[in-house]
Amino acid sequence: MQVALDRLLPEYIKKFEAYTPSKPDAELMKLYGCSRLIRLNNNENPLGPPPASQEVLRRFPPEKAAQYPSGDAFYLRRKLAERFDKDPDQFLVGNGANEVIAFVIKAFCRQGDNIITADKTFAVYEWVATFSGLEARLVPLKDHGFDDQAMLDRIDERTKVLFVCNPNNPTGRYWNRARLRRFLDLVDGRQIVVVDEAYCEFVEQPDFPDGMKLIEEYPNLVVFRTFSKMYGLAGLRIGYLAGSEELVAAIRRTCIVYSVNTLAQESASAAVNQDDHVMRTRRMVNEGKSFLTRELARLGLPCIGGEGNFLMVRLPMSDTLAYRSLMKQGVMVRSMTGFRFPNHIRVTVSTAQAMEAFIEALTTTLKAHEIP
Amino acid sequence: MVTSANIDVTLTLFARTTFLPLATSFVEKSALALGLEEGDALTLTLAAEEIFAYLCRTGAPERPVLMRCRGGGYFVETEFLFQPQEFDMRAFNLAVTPSLDTGQGIDETGLLIASRMVDRFHFASHDNGLRVSLTKERAYPAPPDLTTAVTRPLERFSIASPEPEELKELVRLIHSYYKGHVLPGNFDFPGKVADMAAARAYQAFVARDDAGHIGGGIIWGFPTQKTVGCSGPYVFGQPQSSVMARELIDECIGAVAKTQAVGIINRFPTEHLPVGYFERLGTLTVETSSGRYTEMPVLYRHLQEDPGATVWAHPLLKDFLEREYNRMVFARDIKSIRDEGEIRSQFSVISAEFDKLQAVVTLRPVWWGDDAQETLARDVEILENDGIHAIFFEMDLGRPWHSRFSPALEKTGFQPRLILPNCGKGDIVVFQHGTESN
Repeated sequence: MQVALDRLLPEYIKKFEAYTPSKPDAELMKLYGCSRLIRLNNNENPLGPPPASQEVLRRFPPEKAAQYPSGDAFYLRRKLAERFDKDPDQFLVGNGANEVIAFVIKAFCRQGDNIITADKTFAVYEWVATFSGLEARLVPLKDHGFDDQAMLDRIDERTKVLFVCNPNNPTGRYWNRARLRRFLDLVDGRQIVVVDEAYCEFVEQPDFPDGMKLIEEYPNLVVFRTFSKMYGLAGLRIGYLAGSEELVAAIRRTCIVYSVNTLAQESASAAVNQDDHVMRTRRMVNEGKSFLTRELARLGLPCIGGEGNFLMVRLPMSDTLAYRSLMKQGVMVRSMTGFRFPNHIRVTVSTAQAMEAFIEALTTTLKAHEIP
Repeated sequence: MVTSANIDVTLTLFARTTFLPLATSFVEKSALALGLEEGDALTLTLAAEEIFAYLCRTGAPERPVLMRCRGGGYFVETEFLFQPQEFDMRAFNLAVTPSLDTGQGIDETGLLIASRMVDRFHFASHDNGLRVSLTKERAYPAPPDLTTAVTRPLERFSIASPEPEELKELVRLIHSYYKGHVLPGNFDFPGKVADMAAARAYQAFVARDDAGHIGGGIIWGFPTQKTVGCSGPYVFGQPQSSVMARELIDECIGAVAKTQAVGIINRFPTEHLPVGYFERLGTLTVETSSGRYTEMPVLYRHLQEDPGATVWAHPLLKDFLEREYNRMVFARDIKSIRDEGEIRSQFSVISAEFDKLQAVVTLRPVWWGDDAQETLARDVEILENDGIHAIFFEMDLGRPWHSRFSPALEKTGFQPRLILPNCGKGDIVVFQHGTESN
């Protein structure tokens, strides 16, 4: 029996290329023949989760795994509400920020609608829209940052959601408070504005806007945050969105309850007020960035950097070839062709030891593939 | 504008000679409706008649065949889809042995006869069975002023998708500024390039100023779902030629980065191609217009993070694979195939894809059997007798049985030339007949 896939699949799914995640580390190490694998590809925190979260993980009673989790992350939402001085109903927790992207798009968009974002940013906004049969309008970056005016110019009556990644992954550029306010003022409530603040905890600039504080003024604003980056809980998949009560109540209709496991909820709750962990991580990132920028300058490689625990490096060679060469030496970076930045790699800023290993492997790679 | 691009017409019938007039009538009327001139429609019809009659001779009369005519704007394709188990598979080789037929020596099959009549012929196995496809392209007039176009230095430029007239202008400028370069044959006909772009067979970017003057461009297409074929970048006497070339390449890569393609192949690079963007896969031997043979580099750019893979290979190929994988830094676990006394098929089947415009034939395995060497030798002989000397064989290392053809390939004069990473179920090794690899 054959499945009539040709008839069953919508055209927009047929055209969509599924994302292939990396193989597990052990498999990669076997194939690439390396005895170590330094992961600098996913902007993970090498310090791991904050101590309080680690304690939760250590003490988690195995028998609790037999019980369903809180369907709506009851205690975590309370904790977030306390931290940000809001009502628990202003939060929705998802299985990673990726899931809350889908909540928003499903809540507001139907066939014929469009979303607007940048062409060179976190790809999941574009993916979810595209495989939902919606148009993703991609606005070119300007000076490596989101182009506010160009985004506003692309709005039409079918535009439902504007996604702004602040600071932008992978360029690290950000909109300051005044610029974000101006944008929100000009949108004037006609569309939903999502500000993805996945990397906000790494930003120390005084003019960086705190989306949480703007929610009370702008009822069309949705803020995304994650526990995967600063809080080192990427393996547990947990992120959340915040907005006005009315807006969050609307989005909740498309929310899949029970999608976030107990361990993730409890670890995240413990992480919320761990400011020491934030300070320690920032210190490590600042030191790592100083080292990297100095060493990359010595190698004559231009960097595109800004806020966040990552740097983008322009190479004099194909980034996909550099990826393979670095993997052979046990260093895993993100090649940026898929982000539409050919010949660039993105490197997670990590411990001093990891940064030294990266520079050494990169130096070897550049020598091995030197252009005559 | 109403065009014939991407219109399908289908007919399902039995492989019985009584249906032959219906089959030919279907092809002829469809071809005319889809935009072919009368002469070309008749040629396609005759080729289709040859195939259908052949299917009637080789299959049981109650077996269904799906015929489809597809208009692609600049071409019409007729395809036949059927289940292999319902036909004598051996009959789908280009040439058959005397034991299958009554004649002496090598007998030409209907497939070969049909292939001579059309511009592209393709016989291959696919997910739902076997597929024979015949393609006839529209004839385009060669413009008299192909090499006289000029442009001016641009003070500023931006990269944009060209309108059809701009694309034709780009093609004329390419001929004008790149005299003596090897260019894709389709570029001889600007109208055809415009039609191919309308049918999404080609995509392009131009670098132009606000007044619409074109300073450069790049053209690419998707020869297969997993590969992009690009040519250029072309830059026409511009002051910032390297900046323009780099932006054109960056935009081209950006445009294909999120498609199903895993790599870009550039067989028509120019001196403006920025360094560090492409890797050298190897070379292929090509015949120049003067009849001499030359080694043409094949440049490649992988678009994805390679996850590493297991490939299957005959020991004969191991040295070549190890050398090439090491040079290109592809992590591969090479597993050897071996004969351990299992039951073997007695016959083999090899599909053929003809590109008459480029005088190229690509062979691919459909079925492996003990007579692989004889089958390959016969195919080569008959192709060479037909004046075709660019004969390739593609082996998919993700399909272990493909590697069983290795000894036969070596004995019939094929050499492995290059590897296309991840371009099939696994990596594809391209063999070329009658050449020495570099």
